[in-house]
Amino acid sequence: MELKTTRADIISTVEFNHTGELLATGDKGGRVVIFQREQESKNQVHRRGEYNVYSTFQSHEPEFDYLKSLEIEEKINKIRWLPQQNAAYFLLSTNDKTVKLWKVSERDKRPEGYNLKDEEGRLRDPATITTLRVPVLRPMDLMVEATPRRVFANAHTYHINSISVNSDYETYMSADDLRINLWNFEITNQSFNIVDIKPANMEELTEVITAAEFHPHHCNTFVYSSSKGTIRLCDMRASALCDRHTKFFEEPEDPSNRSFFSEIISSISDVKFSHSGRYIMTRDYLTVKVWDLNMENRPIETYQVHDYLRSKLCSLYENDCIFDKFECVWNGSDSVIMTGSYNNFFRMFDRNTKRDVTLEASRENSKPRAILKPRKVCVGGKRRKDEISVDSLDFSKKILHTAWHPSENIIAVAATNNLYIFQDKVN
Amino acid sequence: MECALDAQSLISISLRKIHSSRTQRGGIKLHKNLLVSYVLRNARQLYLSERYAELYRRQQQQQQQQQQQQQPPHHQHQHLAYAAPGMPASAADFGPLQLGGGGDAEAREPAARHQLHQLHQLHQLHLQQQLHQHQHPAPRGCAAAAAGAPAGGAGALSELPGCAALQPPHGAPHRGQPLEPLQPGPAPLPPPAPAALCPRDPRASAACSAPSAPPAAAPQAAAGASPPASPAPASSPGFYRGAYPAPSDFGVHCSSQTTVLDLDTHVVTTVENGYLHQDCCASAHCPCCGQGAPGPGLASAAGCKRKYYPGQEEDEDDEEDAGDLGAEPPGGAPFAPCKRARFEDFCPDSSPDASNISNLISIFGSGFSGLVSRQPDSSEQPPPLNGQLCAKQALASLGAWTRAIVAF
Repeated sequence: MELKTTRADIISTVEFNHTGELLATGDKGGRVVIFQREQESKNQVHRRGEYNVYSTFQSHEPEFDYLKSLEIEEKINKIRWLPQQNAAYFLLSTNDKTVKLWKVSERDKRPEGYNLKDEEGRLRDPATITTLRVPVLRPMDLMVEATPRRVFANAHTYHINSISVNSDYETYMSADDLRINLWNFEITNQSFNIVDIKPANMEELTEVITAAEFHPHHCNTFVYSSSKGTIRLCDMRASALCDRHTKFFEEPEDPSNRSFFSEIISSISDVKFSHSGRYIMTRDYLTVKVWDLNMENRPIETYQVHDYLRSKLCSLYENDCIFDKFECVWNGSDSVIMTGSYNNFFRMFDRNTKRDVTLEASRENSKPRAILKPRKVCVGGKRRKDEISVDSLDFSKKILHTAWHPSENIIAVAATNNLYIFQDKVN
Repeated sequence: MECALDAQSLISISLRKIHSSRTQRGGIKLHKNLLVSYVLRNARQLYLSERYAELYRRQQQQQQQQQQQQQPPHHQHQHLAYAAPGMPASAADFGPLQLGGGGDAEAREPAARHQLHQLHQLHQLHLQQQLHQHQHPAPRGCAAAAAGAPAGGAGALSELPGCAALQPPHGAPHRGQPLEPLQPGPAPLPPPAPAALCPRDPRASAACSAPSAPPAAAPQAAAGASPPASPAPASSPGFYRGAYPAPSDFGVHCSSQTTVLDLDTHVVTTVENGYLHQDCCASAHCPCCGQGAPGPGLASAAGCKRKYYPGQEEDEDDEEDAGDLGAEPPGGAPFAPCKRARFEDFCPDSSPDASNISNLISIFGSGFSGLVSRQPDSSEQPPPLNGQLCAKQALASLGAWTRAIVAF
């Protein structure tokens, strides 16, 4: 496995584009860093497919809402790429309140020979101009520039947690704690509210929206998850306001596991459609579940991510770790799912072989071209060599955000402020 | 990585979290605060049931003593001493329930009974509410004072008397105290509501706020009491468990009715459909009132529409219920009254006064309110207390329940 690391502010989102050529990260400082994969070259086989920094730009700035006396964080909550339709790349990035559409384009020529300006851009005195010439384009060093093309603001009262591009490539949705809005890319001053779960009396609030995503193929279908551990699938053809779901996915609670923190650990932190569109995957605090869209009463697969934490919930509540929102991802063929854990561990579950592995993203344990060693957490009793006991896990090192290349075995793992990219080189 | 999993510390921690979230960058996070409110609710349930059980048990013992008083006086002393051993063990587990020995049994009794009555009312209403939401017929009987007190209280006595989910904590044997059916006896005690004991139905027994103790054989109620129901499902020790009928909406849909009791002011406040009305306990005139320890009390009239004390502004244009938070308890509270829970259609402001937190306990019964307080006018607020102090005071107000008893 090949390893590449880069330091940045705390990474808050990671996303490959649709071809896997580009990898975008957003951080707490409102910056977006885009990596591009090196083109294969025959004489440098070893360097094939390395990701290097392609563009960096400041997407969001901190804001202050004077009306409500609220500071708005610049942290990038999510990045979603649009499919490429021309030479430029487009992505959506969002903080708590505002979604922006960015155009990332290359410039490798520049015009020279202006009449009214000199080469440095200073205006020339018209009196000194004696001849006219036609400006020409000359090659220049490649420059990647990012420009904000649209700003979608003032549509969310609560904190935006998800954005999702529709398969029609004309619309997208943004979801906050209580509402989901549908946007057209071209129109920034209007959006349609398609889900609203705000109760008339806020005292009656019992759940919030935690994540939302469009179906990968059916542009009328989307799902959203709730803090109560439920998922609703909605069809926008049914009505303008999709408050009534088409399908409702919920697994009955196991009463023997009841505790003070049952509500917290059942809150879903991420929901993702499989690439096929037949399944959805949800992540709650201790498990990952795979649901078949045709079966609403329980998931078809449940994977324990770190069940050894179940007896530590009180401490995790005290140090706020219990509120961590882990994401989950599918691989390109939907055969393997991956999610993060603590101590810079991340887990992969093979749905076919039912095997799972725990790996660690750390500088010490990973060298370029070294093979990642599987890790193991020792739950009780004698600790074997190489095992880590639960009590020595570092809960400040958490892997919340991961991404998987759409077609190859390349994964990006964000460990606090480090980005690790692992590639599986078969040959 | 150990932490105390008792209700009080959880409440304290949760309040601290809510308080600090108001000063965090980016504004109040609705999701996190909602989750914290669930923990608060759960802890409060346990705390309530523990208190109730203890009060109930004391009631039992006092009645015992009453009966013993028919006998030659020297027996009385004996019984006081007899009662005492049962206390410290549970006192230790009950934290602020500092049950000293001594005090005149008779003087103690009416106040304690009175407290018990109020608590019973509160719990009754609370259980009824659950009932209403979950259509469980049985739990009502749980609150009924039908059966005898549970075992003599070694360890955490977090049981409801008569509740079939009773299990002597840690399987400790009875302390030898004979169990008696609670007699309706002296006035303030309500007649046992549908006298059925806590039921055989494990789901309903689960609704009886079953204890955190590991399962053990349920104590046998004395003559006259129905046999206990099936034990609560096995659980891992150290977890508070089993208090809820599945699913876990226990106490969450409090939109129909919730009741909060402030033992300091002896005010029972009922929240109904988000609108509050006050059911002032008749005991407002009770002689016991004066003897109650005036501590930093729970703000009683959370959002009461009626002005309970002069000098508080009331928002006329509230479309929701929130008037002002009430009420300074009679003894005078360190917390100035503050505006509460007026949720408008914007993201909750940060940093309302920290004293709001002390009211959260009472508010939480009525749903999600209390987390969405608007910033009160600076003029009416004292300097904000820091979160830690506030949590302690909030907790202290919880402890005020028992302080009143101890005073006697």
